[in-house]
Amino acid sequence: MKSFTYSRPGQIGPATEAASQDGAAIIAGGTTMVDLMKIGVLQPDALVDITGLGDLQGYGVGSDRIRLGALAKMAVVADDPAVIDAFPALSEALWKAASPQLRNVATLGGNMLQRTRCPYFRDTAYAQCNKRDPGSGCAALDGGETSMHAIFGGSDACVAMYPGDFAQVLVAFDAEVKTQGPGGTRTIRFADLHLEPGDSPEIETVLEPGEIVTGIEIPMSPPMANSHYLKARERESYAFASASAAVGIEMDGDTLRDVRIGLGGVAATPHRARDAEDYLRGQPLTEDTAREAGRIAFQGAEPLEGSAYKIPLGADVVTGALLQVKSRMGGE
Amino acid sequence: MAQTINTRVTRTDARRKVTGSATYAADVIPAGMLHGALSCSAIAVGTVKSIDTGAAEAEPGVIAVYTHKTLPHYKTVKGFYAGGPGSASFWPMEGTEIRYAGQPVAYVVAETAAAARRGADLIGITYEEGASSIHMDPSDSFVVGAGEDSDGMVTTKGDLQSGLDAAAQTVDETYETPFQHHNPMEMFAATAEWRGDRLTVWMPSQSVRTLRLGIATAYGLPETSVRVISPFVGGAFGSKAGVTPYTMLTIAAAKAVGAPVRLIVTRPQMFTVATFRPESVQRFRLGADEAGKLTAFEHIEIAQTSQFDAVVNPGTHMTRAMYACPNIHTEQRLARSDTNTGGFMRAPNEMQTFFGLEQAMDELAVKLKMDPVELRRVNDTQRHPVADVPFSSRSLMESYDAVSQSFGWADRSPEAGAMTDGDWLIGYGCATATYPTSISPSSARVRMQGTGHAYVELASHDVGTGTYTIMAQIAAARLGLPVAAVDVVMGEADLPLAPISGGSTTAASVGSAVHLACLNVATDVAKKVSAQSGGPLSGIDPSRITLDDGMLRGPDGQSQSLVEALAATPMGEAEAEGQYRHPALTDDALRATYAGGYGVAGPVTPEMAMFAFGAEMAEVRIHRWTHEIRVPRLHGAFAAGTWLNRKTAHSQLMGGMVWGIGSALHEVTETDKPRARFLNANIAEYLIPVNADIREVRVEMLQEQDDYVNPLGVKGIGELAIVGTAAAIANAVYNATGTRLRRLPMRIPDLV
Repeated sequence: MKSFTYSRPGQIGPATEAASQDGAAIIAGGTTMVDLMKIGVLQPDALVDITGLGDLQGYGVGSDRIRLGALAKMAVVADDPAVIDAFPALSEALWKAASPQLRNVATLGGNMLQRTRCPYFRDTAYAQCNKRDPGSGCAALDGGETSMHAIFGGSDACVAMYPGDFAQVLVAFDAEVKTQGPGGTRTIRFADLHLEPGDSPEIETVLEPGEIVTGIEIPMSPPMANSHYLKARERESYAFASASAAVGIEMDGDTLRDVRIGLGGVAATPHRARDAEDYLRGQPLTEDTAREAGRIAFQGAEPLEGSAYKIPLGADVVTGALLQVKSRMGGE
Repeated sequence: MAQTINTRVTRTDARRKVTGSATYAADVIPAGMLHGALSCSAIAVGTVKSIDTGAAEAEPGVIAVYTHKTLPHYKTVKGFYAGGPGSASFWPMEGTEIRYAGQPVAYVVAETAAAARRGADLIGITYEEGASSIHMDPSDSFVVGAGEDSDGMVTTKGDLQSGLDAAAQTVDETYETPFQHHNPMEMFAATAEWRGDRLTVWMPSQSVRTLRLGIATAYGLPETSVRVISPFVGGAFGSKAGVTPYTMLTIAAAKAVGAPVRLIVTRPQMFTVATFRPESVQRFRLGADEAGKLTAFEHIEIAQTSQFDAVVNPGTHMTRAMYACPNIHTEQRLARSDTNTGGFMRAPNEMQTFFGLEQAMDELAVKLKMDPVELRRVNDTQRHPVADVPFSSRSLMESYDAVSQSFGWADRSPEAGAMTDGDWLIGYGCATATYPTSISPSSARVRMQGTGHAYVELASHDVGTGTYTIMAQIAAARLGLPVAAVDVVMGEADLPLAPISGGSTTAASVGSAVHLACLNVATDVAKKVSAQSGGPLSGIDPSRITLDDGMLRGPDGQSQSLVEALAATPMGEAEAEGQYRHPALTDDALRATYAGGYGVAGPVTPEMAMFAFGAEMAEVRIHRWTHEIRVPRLHGAFAAGTWLNRKTAHSQLMGGMVWGIGSALHEVTETDKPRARFLNANIAEYLIPVNADIREVRVEMLQEQDDYVNPLGVKGIGELAIVGTAAAIANAVYNATGTRLRRLPMRIPDLV
């Protein structure tokens, strides 16, 4: 690990100032940052620890929105009865991520910004990685192992997958991100936060240097109460999604008034299956329509040799998630 | 005297381990110690063109950077499979040649571990890269050695083709197993301290004598000048057996820099600087008549090996011992690829081969429309099918009967896909477990005091299995002392000879030596008390005094406890060595053990075949939508002679079954084919089961008496319970889905 300076400002103004310097990086729970520094992928000159900004830890379920402080811990929010009651998929997505040790220290803001698990990004022995070293190439596309690479949103420069769970809930339920940077505060649609790799996979979000995520807000919507996160993974805990689905439904009699579908384990950025949602609105929710929604959700996917399984798997996970949430409502 | 063998005894070192007071090799800090770090090759095959050490040398805290040009050289030794003490026959940093990815290229010594690693990251290496392949090509395989002979790499009995022709049903299938890495919790570490031409090395080891021999040979030192210390080992599973390059490089760096040096190998580097389980392909051709009796049995194993060693773990030697069959053909083949040399990983011959054999048997049972347990019963045998000698004991069907009852096998539907629970498909599967009983020569020294204490000393190892505890139990039982009154000292090469702690040989082999040493202590005490006046055994011919677990007994009912008799002698203490050698051990095997290698009697001797047996049954559940495979129940029943400690034995068997679940569903070292590198070299992405994956694991321990295997009647159990687990799970997957998964690990993409 390269030597670095460390500061822990108590106020957000000095924090954004320090974090906007060249070579500076923000650290909160540290579960991604420290990991990537230890393996030499990230080599910041200065770490700005924002955990001293105590007012970012709060969270609450209000009448019109859920407010989540950027420093709220995954485990704390996942276990909150009000969250579980109002928005089960949010709690489930947090519970099914990482391990207890990680959830106890990892923050929601950091989780949302977690980096890819692409093995070529994470191993500096590979000279080819456009995300780590722009212009160097892509070892995954150069005949590499691709079973956990993106089938949506990849480019000729990079096919790294966004690995998170929580973000799939945020993208499906129209979350917004609150930030404060050297230029002031702003609100970003969560769906606009992450950038597809295109020609510049090293740029992953629209955040500017020094811009600190202060919170996440999710507007209350009827499908949140009937929501579910289904995750297919190779072991029962502490594994990234082979495919996952965050779904929520609102019924109008026998047909769907509203439906939300976020897809994990398949895309370069948090991914919402809008075509499948559009298909389902106004339809009854049956095994047939759920299957059709799963099929539509994976239309246009561009798998690599190793990731082709994600299309049928993802479709089944969408189908299963929809049927499970309906059965929880007492349907069928 | 309370019974101390065949009871549940808590580990004598448990408190030290959980409180952190057990001193592992990397806990030792000699005065003035510096820290080492490895810089390893990015390419798999080629040569080093240049190494720029400038930035590393300029890094604060870095003391020295060594390359093949500057590190002191030593006499290299052969690898284990070439009869030497090394983990491999190729030694990095002897020249510019690169033969596997992750090969050490430079060695940094610094004031702190952090500075050393930082220095290693700053070394710039350029290469001339050659073509490489990390995977073997099974179509380009070979047989090691002379080939055809009755106990060799190729076995022929009867006529395979006529057996196939006569069969009512046949199975001809190929099964594949991947590269796997041991990943012990305790990192690889070595600390070397030179004092003049005397050298001390602290290192977690499964074979301190092998280590000492290799180091002494490399540096031209008498073995008496080399101390090797390894009191505790935080998991080994085969990865800590030989002399590894990182050890030799650390010793060389300590010599060059003139101070003690400690290296802790990083987790990613642990995937390349030592051994692993080679990938394999297992082809089985089975034929059976309508009653299920085997008429033909063929097994051809092709296992991966490096370009510079021939790693033979002869799995065909185990499969051919399983079932009665008149026509048998086996071949043990290797194919090369560009990796470091693999080695033995817990059940090295058996995990892979029984994944194949026991699935092939299940496939045969399906074709015959037979219950798979009954197919095993029909083909059970009390004689080794090739060697034609009796098994010293074989409780295979007793194991099946016990596990069938415990598991509820009778509830199984033979029809695939017939059992469901909501969104879960349910399947049951079974498989045979076995492990060869091989017995090494071994020695131990026991010193007993009339105050009621004893010391047991031997150069064996506790790799986390409970060896300290069971050695104390054996001595306590023989000497008539409480277990807590026996101190066991192990993990130093200077102690009496003990073999490599591998092949599940330790309990039976070194336990027998401890047993004999205790008998020799009693003989010594008997002589003394018979020559003294005034005691109950005075004047009795000492050759007629016997030891009966703590009591000395004369021919006519006279008796005195050993500890009382000892207290009555003028010295008040007695010491004796026990040297154990199984009657069937050859002189060559004895020589091999004293030379730091692996020399054993068995599993097949001229009179007997020695194997432990068991049977496992798995329930799997496969989710309709996520296609996840889970194992809510795994039951096993095992018979392995005497259970020394029912608690640690239970843990070994249960731990083995858990390992088997990992092999079945999780463990695989993924590869990057174009650049011939191991890809998931960390324990986030190299999956092993977590607690949530392990649900009901039930272990039945059957009684079995075997007076042939050794004086204690013990068979090794460290590896037994892994064998067959993956096949039991695969057979259950078939029962649930109708889909055969013939490649490990079995994962979601296989069932979508």
